[in-house]
Amino acid sequence: MNEQFRVSQKIGLMFRPGTAIPKDIKSWAITQLNAKSPALGISKSMPKSQVMPWPKSLQSDLKGRSDKLIRAAEVETIANRMENKTEAHKLINKSDFENYMGNNDHLKFNHRNIYGKDQVRLRFLTFWANHFTVAPVGDTTDQLVGSHIEDALLPNLNSSFSDMLYAAISHPGMLYYLDNAFSSGDKLNDNLGRELLELHTVSPTANYTENDIKNAAYVLSGWGYDTAKNKNYMGSFLQSKHRPGSKTVLGKTIQSGKEGLRQLTDSLANNSYAISFITKKLAEHFISENPSKSDINHIANAWKQSNGSLDQIHTAVIERAIDTKSPKFQWPMNWLFQVIRLSDATYIHGWDEIAGSCNHCNGNPKNDGSRKYPFMQNKEIFLELGQSFWHSRQPNGFSNNKESWISGEMFDRRIKFAEAIFNAGNPQFGANQIMDRIGAHQSTRKLVNSVGDTNEKNRFIALMCSPELMGLEYA
Amino acid sequence: MPNLKLSRREFLKASGASLFLAGLPVPGYTKDEPPGTISVIILEGGLDGLSAVPPFGDPDMMRLRSGVTPDNFLKLNSFFGLHPSLKNFSSLMAHNNALVVHATNFPYTKRSHFEGQNLIQGAGLSPFAEKTGWLGRSLDLANLGGRALALDLPLILRGNTDNDNFFPSNIIDSQSKASSSLLKALSMGHKNEESDIFKKLTKKPDWRIDRQPETLAKFAGQEMAKENGPLASVITVDRFDTHARQDIDTQGQLSEQLSIVDKIIASYREGLGEKAWNKSIILTLTEFGRTVLENGSTGTDHGYASAGLLAGGAIEKSGVITQWPGLKTKDQYEGRDLMSTIDYRSVCAACIEKTLGLDHDLIANKVFYTPKLPRIYNNLFS
Repeated sequence: MNEQFRVSQKIGLMFRPGTAIPKDIKSWAITQLNAKSPALGISKSMPKSQVMPWPKSLQSDLKGRSDKLIRAAEVETIANRMENKTEAHKLINKSDFENYMGNNDHLKFNHRNIYGKDQVRLRFLTFWANHFTVAPVGDTTDQLVGSHIEDALLPNLNSSFSDMLYAAISHPGMLYYLDNAFSSGDKLNDNLGRELLELHTVSPTANYTENDIKNAAYVLSGWGYDTAKNKNYMGSFLQSKHRPGSKTVLGKTIQSGKEGLRQLTDSLANNSYAISFITKKLAEHFISENPSKSDINHIANAWKQSNGSLDQIHTAVIERAIDTKSPKFQWPMNWLFQVIRLSDATYIHGWDEIAGSCNHCNGNPKNDGSRKYPFMQNKEIFLELGQSFWHSRQPNGFSNNKESWISGEMFDRRIKFAEAIFNAGNPQFGANQIMDRIGAHQSTRKLVNSVGDTNEKNRFIALMCSPELMGLEYA
Repeated sequence: MPNLKLSRREFLKASGASLFLAGLPVPGYTKDEPPGTISVIILEGGLDGLSAVPPFGDPDMMRLRSGVTPDNFLKLNSFFGLHPSLKNFSSLMAHNNALVVHATNFPYTKRSHFEGQNLIQGAGLSPFAEKTGWLGRSLDLANLGGRALALDLPLILRGNTDNDNFFPSNIIDSQSKASSSLLKALSMGHKNEESDIFKKLTKKPDWRIDRQPETLAKFAGQEMAKENGPLASVITVDRFDTHARQDIDTQGQLSEQLSIVDKIIASYREGLGEKAWNKSIILTLTEFGRTVLENGSTGTDHGYASAGLLAGGAIEKSGVITQWPGLKTKDQYEGRDLMSTIDYRSVCAACIEKTLGLDHDLIANKVFYTPKLPRIYNNLFS
């Protein structure tokens, strides 16, 4: 690939057709970190649909979501008391229709990544959404996964790691996902305290003790929402559930009360073990499968010199990702977005087509031949890809290393999705046009040509599943 | 938190449990037919062995765990009970086709899911030391290939070049199978392992089954019963990390997940049929047990020893194999966890010996890298 496309594959989502290709790719990539782009999308899944900002009415902030969850809970209480179960189901379905945010969240995430003009910024957003994994464990967190990304991570992409860490941990999605909402000072649940140390910051290399974990959990006690009253899902601190007194975590004394959490996250965010652990993860995600010590140190130095400024950390990642010529294997979800962007396919619903859909029909289009919904539901796409932020998963998130993604079934899924995009997505660009545009490597051209001149579909699949487009070779 | 009892709950449950399944050999590749088949059910999150197989005879049990112990557990003997979700397993116990190993774990005490999961599958001497898994290495030593039924290839099965995997997909607007010429071109166009993977896809059977754990287990059993069928398989069931509301009623998280395990075992049996069942062993594997004392949210936190469930016709005598450590604080590991008194690697080694016919010393050396790993074959199988 030519340099611009090589870089936009490695740290972005590929340039959409019609986009001006920057000459100075490094400057462009760094500028991208501050690109101001609203969530862009389409209202209907027609070819060449107009790309527009997402309507405000379909996007709820945390308060709006909280209100919806409270309404849904109230309806459910009523429904559970009803003797006529058919009527109760109807009531619940109606409430789901009115209050469920999940479908919009899945669609908005897809739209952002397919139509966004801030591709580099979005890749970092996805990285952090995986680092601070929040997965559904019930209806509440299902509705809070999108909010965690949009309200906790996105607004902090240009602040410090410390700010992002605090926002990510104190968001109700996290507080529920890792059970902190059910913890209290005298009845401790140490799940979030443990993962805050193990996964979000210092990692087991810091040799923390069980006592450090317990104290971190004590600092976190009281953070949640009032589970007894169902009054507020917004995330709050309840002094009555907090363990009074100062705590010690990794030798640092943390004061009692609400402010203790910020003190703890600030301390952890600048811990040298956290810096080593997270810079390695960034390097493995963006730079190469086996990043050099020099690459990792470059990012770590930027972190230390800037007190954890994410702009500086991300800039350091970009510099080394561009300078290092090794290919980087692309995650299934990023690959899917890249395939759709390169071919200008319309493979995802518009918001007009999903806003009224029933969330129980979350699987497939209606099976009556009418194909009310033209494509797979967004959440199901991620499930079939084997990489979903919207399904149950463990808090360590998805692996950054290619070994975890190389298997017959995983490859078969890529073939199937490339085919589905060709069949149903009406791609505006075929294999030849795409290869010319990106300056495909001669080996890729050879592979595509080896499936014959006439079968456009197989040529498309061969290109998208080539070592170059998967980020395995020549990339 | 709203108490969901109606339809939304069903929708969430369907998307909440993830599972896997694994293992088929290459016809004509094997030397002699091994004596049996081995299936592993990985319980992801850390099984609370004290709730799955509650030691109600221990005087400290109810004092420490009344909020997480099911009321209506099934009685195994004068000391141990069985979780009410394990009805089928209980029936197998009654027919001498199942046993429990209690107070057991791999030698790992640091309570991290991810280190623990890596260790129980990779069986290295420290977490993340191994890129291959104990079952994959065992199949390799037995000169057997395999095919995993999972979307990704679990670590436990890596280590055998003939391993491959499969998990039913549901991608609309695509054909069920790519053309062999396309796959051949992709294989030629890729290098190394990736090339082999595309090549193997040409031989992928066109299986169409749904993805319910019990359907996969039945299917695996049917395949394993065939001549030259698979000799090993793996299913992963998640959500055993029961920090909150573990078992407050019959809809508790642990009850639900153990029901799935119970159905999987029943479905294996159904799929295998009598002849193959009689040569089979199914065993559970989990990264750690949970705290002896329940926590403040009617759950339990990460601990050390757990319990292993073993089923299959290759088992001829049921029982609870244990050196019970006791539940008093002084008897607990670090004053909080059930102590492990049996190295679960020895249990795995005995199952490999029984089903794949490998010598214990070879398994100890080449699979678990622990020459002095105790042999407990006779404790389990005689």
